[in-house]
Amino acid sequence: MSNFIDRPRYLCTMGGAVSTLKALPRAISIIHAAAGCGGNFGNALNGAAGYLGSGYCAGQALPSSNVFERDIVFGGEERLEEQIASTLEIVDGDIYFVVTGCMVDIIGDDAVSVARRFNQQGKPVFAAETGGFKGNAYTGYDIVLSTLFRDFVEKRPVKNKKIVNLFGLVPIQDVFWKGNLNVLKDLIQKLGYKVNTFFGEGETIENLKQAGEAHLNIVVSDVYGVKSAKIFEEVHGVPYIVANLPIGPAGTKEFLETVGKALGVDELLVSNVIAEEKARYYSYVERLADVYNDLDFQRYSVVVADANYAPALTRFIADDLGWLPELVVITDLLSEDEEKLVAKKFTAFSSGVIPKVVFDTDTSNVSKHFNKAWPRNNNNRYFNAFSPAFVFGSSLDREFADSLGAAHLSVSYPISNRVVLDRAYLGYSGSLRLIEDVIGLLVGSR
Amino acid sequence: MDYIKEKAPPVREERLRACNAYGGSCGNLVEKSKKGCLNGIKRKFSQTQGCQLNLSLAIINTIRDAVVIVHGPVGCGGASLAQAGVNKGFQKLRDSNARGLIWVNTNMGENEVVQGGESRLRDAILHAEKEFRPSAIIIVNSCVPAIIGDDIDGVVEQAQKEVKAKIVPVHCEGFKTKIMASAYDAVYHGILRNLIPHEKIIQDEKTELETLQEKYRASRTVNVLNVSSMSRIDEYELVRLLKAIDLELNILPCYAHPDDFQKATEAALNVSICATHDDYFVEHLKEKYGIPFILRTIPIGVQYTNRWILDIAKFFGAEEAAQRFIDQEVKQLEEAIAPFRDIFKGKRVLIGGGEIRVVANAELLHYLGFEIVGLRAYHYDQFADEMLGEQDIIKQIPFNVATGQPFEQANLNHNLKPDLYVGHVNTNVWAAKQGIPVIPLFHQSQLFLGYTGIYEFARRLARILRNPSFNRNLKDNVHLPYFEEWYDKDAFSYIDESELQA
Repeated sequence: MSNFIDRPRYLCTMGGAVSTLKALPRAISIIHAAAGCGGNFGNALNGAAGYLGSGYCAGQALPSSNVFERDIVFGGEERLEEQIASTLEIVDGDIYFVVTGCMVDIIGDDAVSVARRFNQQGKPVFAAETGGFKGNAYTGYDIVLSTLFRDFVEKRPVKNKKIVNLFGLVPIQDVFWKGNLNVLKDLIQKLGYKVNTFFGEGETIENLKQAGEAHLNIVVSDVYGVKSAKIFEEVHGVPYIVANLPIGPAGTKEFLETVGKALGVDELLVSNVIAEEKARYYSYVERLADVYNDLDFQRYSVVVADANYAPALTRFIADDLGWLPELVVITDLLSEDEEKLVAKKFTAFSSGVIPKVVFDTDTSNVSKHFNKAWPRNNNNRYFNAFSPAFVFGSSLDREFADSLGAAHLSVSYPISNRVVLDRAYLGYSGSLRLIEDVIGLLVGSR
Repeated sequence: MDYIKEKAPPVREERLRACNAYGGSCGNLVEKSKKGCLNGIKRKFSQTQGCQLNLSLAIINTIRDAVVIVHGPVGCGGASLAQAGVNKGFQKLRDSNARGLIWVNTNMGENEVVQGGESRLRDAILHAEKEFRPSAIIIVNSCVPAIIGDDIDGVVEQAQKEVKAKIVPVHCEGFKTKIMASAYDAVYHGILRNLIPHEKIIQDEKTELETLQEKYRASRTVNVLNVSSMSRIDEYELVRLLKAIDLELNILPCYAHPDDFQKATEAALNVSICATHDDYFVEHLKEKYGIPFILRTIPIGVQYTNRWILDIAKFFGAEEAAQRFIDQEVKQLEEAIAPFRDIFKGKRVLIGGGEIRVVANAELLHYLGFEIVGLRAYHYDQFADEMLGEQDIIKQIPFNVATGQPFEQANLNHNLKPDLYVGHVNTNVWAAKQGIPVIPLFHQSQLFLGYTGIYEFARRLARILRNPSFNRNLKDNVHLPYFEEWYDKDAFSYIDESELQA
């Protein structure tokens, strides 16, 4: 369903492309667009992503052709060529990636050919058309990844059986991406594999360049990164699997089993890793057995998040935390097929809890869906209220939480009321952080 | 000036021949500006800046009880995501019931690029009305609908018949101008056409006394035009300054309610704190409603605060009272500042931000004892000529006109090695990574204006200079994205004057 959107929780295609490149070590975006596009992204990617900051060469430092009316009339390719050349003189990066805005795509500037001319001279310059009207930030993520997979990743006919690539977790759009990638890498390393995530701690552009030698691609999303995985398979002959994004013991067990099976890991090793991690997890969670039960820390919940987080988080809330997620609003723009894929994830929770799942991009509709999901009190003396309650969402959902008298934790983009550094919510260790934050809020307001 | 019959205002390159690329001495800049030969300078390397639409939202997002519609692809206006939540608190300082920022994006996709986005815009307007019942629906128009030819005003005209909220179209397509400040004209244009009544509203029957009282009140009321970077306490300080000469203030446009603009025509005088923001608005209010204006300076630092008050006092014939007030204020301030002077003495400072504010800060920092080593401004036009031209002490120092362009800033900071950087939001980070202590040029919760602003600024300066370890440590551990060779080149080497329009 494509319509206007009340407070969209993502930038456009080019915004997603720029944020993906911002997260890639020493990659430099060169924006071929009007002057405001990059400035707009700067604020959205800093203040709305847990105070991510301007980064190495983003924020106001983003090289940009800043085309104006005259370039739009006469074409902006010359200006772009000048800008690429001067960027190579001044800005120190490992790769340079030209992304295009609406206006230059509409007038038909061939940025890809301009970039190719530099590439043919041995400069690491790449390009893709990313006009904002093509879709949202997630589209931009897939365009950048698939362009790099096709044009930058080296061909490696001989594969290394001990290396895998992992993607589908969209940097910045997942505000906790960096910490999360650490967790996923650790988990897979425990199964005996080296993992390229391209955006993770300690990785360089070389990890991406050599990614063609991987044995398998693991996509931790039903919808994001899948297109790129298909292109990867086509170009480099590396197959892919879709694994669930793991939060908490229940989800992480499934993740490890899925990955283990696909890689042909000894089942005993997988179950040992699971047992060990779970034991560690419960050695901490056990501490909360008192307060959870003394102070009745079970909560009704509403989850407002993207297609990646919503199923993973809701499952954790229901199956691990033992709470009652009654309503889930997924705020992404998805096709019907994608919606079906994502919706299926909510149907088989081990706790037996079945939340109501809706797909709606509009912020003010969250409360409408809630009103349909839970009756209002019409001055009844006895009323089964939605209380006590907890809302997992973005900063935009704080008001909705207030209207319910519910506690609220920002876990999905945009997050402007928290600082996020290396915090992770995935896996066993990440779910411990999540519990600290969630229960921390409850005890903090005592 | 009268552009109000036009759908959109002219951009500032045309109207003011403003420039956003220059590097040279302050003295030269003023000279060239007076000759009108700055327009058309370009850069061979540029970094992103911001556009009319971004800056229009900085003002519009503050308006209370309004819904903003961003007509464009889904990313336009995305910067508002960082403001959601923050902005509500500032609105509440003016009205405890304020509901904060609400915006709708028309999410134009490939289909709309081909078929037009008018029906999408119409749907969004009707949704905004039905869902939120706001007093105003403000539409910012982006590049895409402009280039495909959406008739925004046609849609608005139709929809206005069905909608109670006042609909305000703002034509602020980013690609139309290099000068972000054109946004101020675009926003004021929308306000002038749609929120200010074309004729005086006929009041209810009033007694002769009531009419007289009202008339007297209006004769002592000034519109003070605020800016979105000001704090509420800045406003209180301006109220205090003008109360001293017995004036009432009507503060517009930021954080105002849409209905407040109706009163804009009932003041004796319009007072700007920054010509860059307000000349379009006050010129039109003069043209249409005969309200005179003062546009000369900004009440930052002693010299310009004095001038700001005296200019207003002169209009009301209250110079003597004003001078007495000023003398007393300045005397108290001098005593209060004295303990800080040793800390500031001889410290070198680079200042960057809006032209008027930067030039006023040069005077302020000089007064406090600093040595000014360089100035940077987002753009430059005639409005800064007087203030910049009269500060002899900075005639020879470099002035860099640049909307952002942190690569030039990094070069200047590297080579000038200031002890302090005073800067605009989004530029401070780069100075910080070079290890330089930073104080923000403005802050939405801090005091900068008037005499108490000077004291508070000095107090903050002393605090920041006392322990700049955070930034010093950054310098040793992070790097700016430029090759070392860049710092050996002239900071202005990518500024291209070859197509300078005479």
